[in-house]
Amino acid sequence: MTMDDNKLTFDKITSDLTHHIRINKGFLIWMGFLTLSLLICLYAYSIQLKTGLGVAGIRDYITWGMYLANFVFFVAASLIGMLISAVLGLIGMKWLTPITRIAETIAVAFAAVAGLVIVSDMGRPERLAYVFIYGRPQSPILWDVTVITTYFVLSLLLLFLPMIADMAIIHRKVETLPSWLRPVYKVLSLNFTDQPAQNKIISRAIRILLILLIPAALSIHTVTSWLFAVTSRAGWDSTVFGPYFVSGAFVAGSAAVIIAMFFFRKNYKLQDYLTDMHFDKMGKVLATVSLVYLYFNINEFLVPGYKLKRADAIHLQELFAGKDALLFWAVQVGGLILPILFMLFRRFRKPLPILIISIAVLIAAWFKRYLIVIPTQEHPFLPIQHVPGNFIHYSPTLIETLISVAPFILVLIIITLISKFFPVIPLHETAQEKGIGHIKFD
Amino acid sequence: MEDNHTPHSPNESDNQKGSSRRDFLKNIGLAGVGVATGAAALYSGHIFEAKKEVSGDQKVLLTQDGKLVRVDSLEIKALDKDDEEIRETMCRGGLPGRRWVMVTDLSKCRNARKCINACQGAHQLRPEQYHMNTLQMQDTPGTAPYNMPKNCQHCDNPPCVAVCPVDATYKRPDGIVLIENDRCIGCRFCMAACPYSARIFNWIEPKDAALHQDQEYNAELNVPQKLGTVSKCLFSADRLREGKLPYCVEACPNGVYYFGDENEDAVTNGTTKETVRLSKLLRDNGGYQLMPELGTKPRVYYLPPKNRLFPFEEATDATPEKV
Amino acid sequence: MRFNTLFILILIFTAGTRTSAQTWVVPDEQKAVVAPFKFTPDMQKQGEQIYLKNCQACHGLMGKDNWARLTPPPGDLSREKAQIQRDGEIFYRITTGKTPMPEFRNILSEEDRWWVVAYLRTFNPKYVQPNPVAKAAFTGRIVTLAMQYNDQMKKIVVTASEQLKDGQKGPAAGVEVVLFVKRYFGKMQVGDIRTTNAAGLALFEFPADLPGNKDGNVALTAMVNDPKGIMKTTPADAAFGIGVPTEKPGLTETRAWWSHRGQAPVWILLTYTLSVVIVWGFILYIVYSILQIRKLSKG
Repeated sequence: MTMDDNKLTFDKITSDLTHHIRINKGFLIWMGFLTLSLLICLYAYSIQLKTGLGVAGIRDYITWGMYLANFVFFVAASLIGMLISAVLGLIGMKWLTPITRIAETIAVAFAAVAGLVIVSDMGRPERLAYVFIYGRPQSPILWDVTVITTYFVLSLLLLFLPMIADMAIIHRKVETLPSWLRPVYKVLSLNFTDQPAQNKIISRAIRILLILLIPAALSIHTVTSWLFAVTSRAGWDSTVFGPYFVSGAFVAGSAAVIIAMFFFRKNYKLQDYLTDMHFDKMGKVLATVSLVYLYFNINEFLVPGYKLKRADAIHLQELFAGKDALLFWAVQVGGLILPILFMLFRRFRKPLPILIISIAVLIAAWFKRYLIVIPTQEHPFLPIQHVPGNFIHYSPTLIETLISVAPFILVLIIITLISKFFPVIPLHETAQEKGIGHIKFD
Repeated sequence: MEDNHTPHSPNESDNQKGSSRRDFLKNIGLAGVGVATGAAALYSGHIFEAKKEVSGDQKVLLTQDGKLVRVDSLEIKALDKDDEEIRETMCRGGLPGRRWVMVTDLSKCRNARKCINACQGAHQLRPEQYHMNTLQMQDTPGTAPYNMPKNCQHCDNPPCVAVCPVDATYKRPDGIVLIENDRCIGCRFCMAACPYSARIFNWIEPKDAALHQDQEYNAELNVPQKLGTVSKCLFSADRLREGKLPYCVEACPNGVYYFGDENEDAVTNGTTKETVRLSKLLRDNGGYQLMPELGTKPRVYYLPPKNRLFPFEEATDATPEKV
Repeated sequence: MRFNTLFILILIFTAGTRTSAQTWVVPDEQKAVVAPFKFTPDMQKQGEQIYLKNCQACHGLMGKDNWARLTPPPGDLSREKAQIQRDGEIFYRITTGKTPMPEFRNILSEEDRWWVVAYLRTFNPKYVQPNPVAKAAFTGRIVTLAMQYNDQMKKIVVTASEQLKDGQKGPAAGVEVVLFVKRYFGKMQVGDIRTTNAAGLALFEFPADLPGNKDGNVALTAMVNDPKGIMKTTPADAAFGIGVPTEKPGLTETRAWWSHRGQAPVWILLTYTLSVVIVWGFILYIVYSILQIRKLSKG
């Protein structure tokens, strides 16, 4: 390769990966739509703030509803950052490079919003600070708050560190950049000039982060599963809840990454960087984690189903053949078993089929959380009597649904903003991997 | 002859030196409530202050003995740190040397629901909010149905307290599991953790909230109830301090409830006021606890529904309206 | 079907009534008892409150026939079947009770019970209250109790003395004595009722396993058992160190999952604090090194 080729290729890469960094009409319309939707949802939340949690369908027996299911889902989806970056990254899978930032973006967005979701479930949100002031180290909620905060910060740093070099490039090279944005990149790039000492700091910091990320990520979802598993209720009283949740989280997260990959590739014209190979490989990842999740599902249902202790029997009866059966089988078959079968074939791991599979998996993942959280509470150990009908059967209200939609909009906003103003594919890393060498900063 | 009520613990009326410390603590405790409610400030104000300023702005306060009083707002003094400590000691400290225990005789319950009414009245609860609820139970299809009053079991290994993130619900040395609704963040983890479904939540504005809004919070009565916080049976901690039986125990017309101090090995029937030995009552009647296999170590015992005084009837009372 | 059920129910209830009617007989001299005071509207109002609290659960609201379906049926007390009784009869039934009706002797004072009668009578327009008879001047025995603990015998000795006709004091023989130990919510009977001997003495054994306070002290009351109220008696109070010394620790003294945060198990405190310190130490280090990047730039 000659110097000229290198220069050309570098310029091409830069242009390919940064051409979308400009404020265009499509972006404004999309953001306007998201903001408007968010405002409607926030209005719903303001009603809840004023009149109390009673605006939701939750009552004394089914006391955790859609908000909690949502929370578990968001924590789950955020876990993928750890799987892609840390586990697969530390092993040294080079094909992952273009996907790492997408995974990290998803991790940051979902982790940040998970913290907000849980506030929407609080009866006294204005007392949130009490968790830090009066926190009891014996309560899984304190652990959860701690690990989610930690995981969010770790993910944010892991998103930011590889971006430093990219921002230095953008600040210098991207012509389409609005003039008021340029200084922001300059500040964020920390005067990065590709000095060996600078690169050494960054790579060491990334290495530490990747190692810390593994226990932190395992903790967030394990602790979240403990919110349920530390109780003695049928359906929650399980020793495999930690790994069950973690493996389920990888399923949801992988599906989310595939969906994001598809739309970024299409909207930002990244076909050369996110190739069919990447979709094929991510399809294999999704199939693998789904198989692991299926294994835990079998454990989770077969073992209590074999013994049929009274409360477990009622719980399983409701899930398998009762009120929740339709949803349960739709989720288990449509969101787990069928996708696994399809993904065994190469042709279903092409971008479009795998997108459709991923969407099905992600929707099923949300309803799976719903099935974990709600049915258990509908049949406690002692009968529910002398209360109104809406205490016995849970059905979400409109306001509750709107409040539950808000986090999704928020996640879309965060992902849109990050992907819009930063290269979706790590620019500096890709250039280095293509053997272009160090960027010349003038 | 019929003087069954002793306003203070008879044990402490012993002219023994040993009990003076206890009396002292108790007095401190009682003073603490007074200070906490502001009523004591009013009292000393009346007695010691010759000149009196009046603002005309009257506040309604709850005194330590559960009476509502009207106080001029100028006479209410904010708590300083020491008072807070006293209040903490007195409320969180419980009644020294006691281990409260309740015995519910299922053979006598006929679902009169008097306990429930008394309880809901005392704690300002709406009809669908139960600190105490009588359930129609049938353990297996082949066994006879029976009525079972169910309240908080005040476990010695309370799963609800374990999971509270902010120390809002806590176990007292005298066995009572209390809630401080000034502290509760409304996460409802305790409700999820309780296997007895004993806890309730203020989903909407509590009953007559406007009426009680000026009332000083009494943690031992959990009144006034607060929107967005958890509530539950408190073993009527406020009544125990006065030497009285809990509201539900006293209200039962059928002699279902016994209440007392395990350390004294004695429980008193709320209807007949007869005091009997706890250990003998449990031994003679096959006393048991609810779901002891969960390891919660409840402080409520049940006597089995054998030789029932009343035939079982399906409950016919109206279901509370939807909220 | 419905009619059949009703028919069966009626059969059951009438059967129940028959048996109960046969067995709950009020002694004639009790039937003749009349209230010691004239009923006033105020008393009737008080009586209503007592009725609502203690009686309504079974007997239902007056005149509504909504009494609880029990065996024997409690019945509506405004109806003729109840109102046909004399005041003394109603008073006696309230006082003594009969399963499943509780005995109100110890729940309601004598005055309270008469107030309930006064209230019940407001539903009987034909009722005319018989002239009140004030309680007759007292002519029965006047007994005073005293109590000691005999260390050698390990027994509580209750001494009953009475005022004799000649104004002298002498031992009261044949008096039934009950011993109570004071507990938080009332007094608890210890052992059986004893009758005093010719010397006016009754001996009680104190159970070896009954808890006292931390020094083993128990407060005792000895009373004369006089259900008919024909004596004037003075009980004896005393405290002896004969109980099991009891000083159980508070229930919150262990470190546990459920303890308050100051009492958290040490290993949780350590694990939690260490993890937070270590991880956040690294995070702070990384943030610090990121800030170094700026310094290292050249040009």
